[in-house]
Amino acid sequence: MEDCLGSDDEYYYSDQDSLDGIENEDSDPQWIPPKGTTTKVITKESLLSAQKEDLRRVMDLLFLREHHARTLLIHYRWDVEKLFAVLVEKGKPCLFSEAGVTLVEHEDLDPPLPNSPVMCAICIEDVPSVDTTKMDCGHCFCNSCWTEHFVVKINEGQSKRIRCMAHKCNAICDESVVRNLVSKRHPHLAEKFDRFLLESYIEDNKRVKWCPSTPHCGNAIRVEDDEFCEIECTCGLQFCFSCLSQAHSPCSCLMWELWAKKCRDESETVNWITVHTKPCPKCHKPVEKNGGCNLVSCICGQAFCWLCGGATGRDHTWSSIAGHSCGRYKEDKEQNAERAKRDLYRYMHYHNRYKAHTDSFKLESNLKESIQKKVAVSEEKDSRLRDFSWVNNGLSRLFRSRRVLSYSYPFAFYMFGEELFKDEMTKEEREIKQHLFEDQQQQLEENVEKLSKFLEAPFDDYKENEVMDIRMQVINLSAITDTLCQKMYDCIESDLLGSLQLGIHNIAPYKSKGIEKASELTVCWVNKANNADKDPRLHCGTSGGSTEPEQPSGSGSSDESGCSSRKRARKGALGGGFFDLNLPAEVIDKSDS
Amino acid sequence: MVDFARVQKELQECSRDVERSGIKVSPKGDGSLARLIGTIPGPTGTPYEGGTFQIDIALPDAYPFEPPKMKFTTKVWHPNISSQSGAICLDILKDQWSPALTLKTALLSVQALLSAPQPDDPQDAVVAQQYLKDYQTFVGTARYWTETFAKKSSLGIEEKVQKLVEMGFPEGQARTTLEAVGGDENLALEKLCSG
Repeated sequence: MEDCLGSDDEYYYSDQDSLDGIENEDSDPQWIPPKGTTTKVITKESLLSAQKEDLRRVMDLLFLREHHARTLLIHYRWDVEKLFAVLVEKGKPCLFSEAGVTLVEHEDLDPPLPNSPVMCAICIEDVPSVDTTKMDCGHCFCNSCWTEHFVVKINEGQSKRIRCMAHKCNAICDESVVRNLVSKRHPHLAEKFDRFLLESYIEDNKRVKWCPSTPHCGNAIRVEDDEFCEIECTCGLQFCFSCLSQAHSPCSCLMWELWAKKCRDESETVNWITVHTKPCPKCHKPVEKNGGCNLVSCICGQAFCWLCGGATGRDHTWSSIAGHSCGRYKEDKEQNAERAKRDLYRYMHYHNRYKAHTDSFKLESNLKESIQKKVAVSEEKDSRLRDFSWVNNGLSRLFRSRRVLSYSYPFAFYMFGEELFKDEMTKEEREIKQHLFEDQQQQLEENVEKLSKFLEAPFDDYKENEVMDIRMQVINLSAITDTLCQKMYDCIESDLLGSLQLGIHNIAPYKSKGIEKASELTVCWVNKANNADKDPRLHCGTSGGSTEPEQPSGSGSSDESGCSSRKRARKGALGGGFFDLNLPAEVIDKSDS
Repeated sequence: MVDFARVQKELQECSRDVERSGIKVSPKGDGSLARLIGTIPGPTGTPYEGGTFQIDIALPDAYPFEPPKMKFTTKVWHPNISSQSGAICLDILKDQWSPALTLKTALLSVQALLSAPQPDDPQDAVVAQQYLKDYQTFVGTARYWTETFAKKSSLGIEEKVQKLVEMGFPEGQARTTLEAVGGDENLALEKLCSG
């Protein structure tokens, strides 16, 4: 790596075009996903249109009304592929009956007159048939019994699957009937019902999760296919989509969970106490041996044997305690103590490095401000060097590489330790792999430190040729650390974790441009042309179609404050044209029938 | 609020059919229809045959939209019924309840449970273990418990009178009513309540 630094200098310097290619990596602040749609932020406002696409697919394929499609999707946890697979495998009737969807119309040959009484089997009263409702499954009960049933179920938190009242009838009640009847007597509950239905898209869907921010920003994140990824919500929080804790790659979720716990609960302090002290058999206080023979006396006055911890008398020689013999266990105990000591030192080694890099990361965050000042000063100068984007790019690269570096230590702690993979590798294998990994880690470390050093240089005081030199170094080192990070992830994914028997350790892939920022979903309705004009109220003010919102944003990739203000701006721009959850049922129904 | 109109109708319906089904439901005695006592005969061909089992019924406010709470007050040896508390493990008393079910149909299901234990979904692990590993002993124990706790003869007439007195009926009236129905305390209770 050292070599390529020196020899490539000339190359980069002479070729302005390729240079731009490298340094412009961050000039576009918005992460543009390769396929156009990947990770999306779903806000309260866009929640409904987020589900539209899935609903539409199911409705179109099976010629269903929206509420039936929703019932199916809730049953299959919004996994459209799974739903289609069941359709192919078991057929339509089975698909529907499992989910509680009944499509058969129960035509009454002899419909009762509106005022002729019908006996409701629930309250066992005669009610005029106008006051009864027949569900799709054909079961008919009086409206007040239906309402009571819905109220009880909604209060139980079962809004998403309210079954018909008839015994052993698996049919799910038509959501518009529920909404209608409940809203007449309990408008608040009807709202709750609607919210539960809508939020099913988040709660029951493995591709969608609430942003874990506290206080909660109200957003949910939808990923396209890989749940092992790291995301930045528009609220600015970066997190691991899989475990919802802070972004921690290249640690796997399990490794990170263990590490965080280890660091949190001071288990190593406890470890120290086990290694260096023994509890007094009388008062149970931990006693530290400060030298001398194996007869120890506690401050409470109790004498005991240091080797076995048992209470003894006070008569002793250097090698034995009168009437006491525990020599047999000596070796074992000492081995355990040695082991605990070794584990402790091992943990300390990794923890120190992890912490050092985390601390550097924090310190370097302050660097940002001072660097901006230096850039401002330099730009004032009358020099032929006008473009200082390499400074910001180098800084972003430094932050990213530093992150990778600090999390690579807990990774190594578990990867080459005995806690997780004791039986997965032989000792020799482990050593080889560890060396391989540590070489890479060391290389990355060296280059990250160099990059940090150059960025901290007071280049605003330098002469032009010196600045050019620093610029070259920063650009070069940025490219190198990026490549090294990528290589380290590759090594972890294919050589280390990839060779394990248990496939439970997955890591989010390396993103050269930093943690992916989820973009807001466009609030629009991709309705069919034939019913697009039915209810204009359902169409929001924004443009139709599924194009991405181009969000003008001047903030850099690591500028967190920029995101929230952008979000507010967007909300304002959209105005009040969102779908109103409290819209009467008929309006909602009309639009999708 | 419990739909008492419906409960009243259920009780009438149930007593109309008592000869055939053997299933009785009557108010517990404090006059409220929210606390009831159900009685089911042990099914024939089972270790529970010949026994009469009492079930305590508490109706939740949202009845019939929530299931009634039922538990055995007669001690019974059965994999799906707690030998300690009488708690019943039956799906229709939990998530499979439907408002279209009634106290009578629920009690019929409990009776059916006595005929067909489901040891794989046990309420009482000890009984379930015995049922699976040593069926003969299970049958013996269940039969012994039926003899001891579920037979009418197990209560003397004086005890029955005492029980009714505790429920708040005058002693003389309790005694005559008991004699009139041939010593069946449930029938006596029903009679006392209705009259």
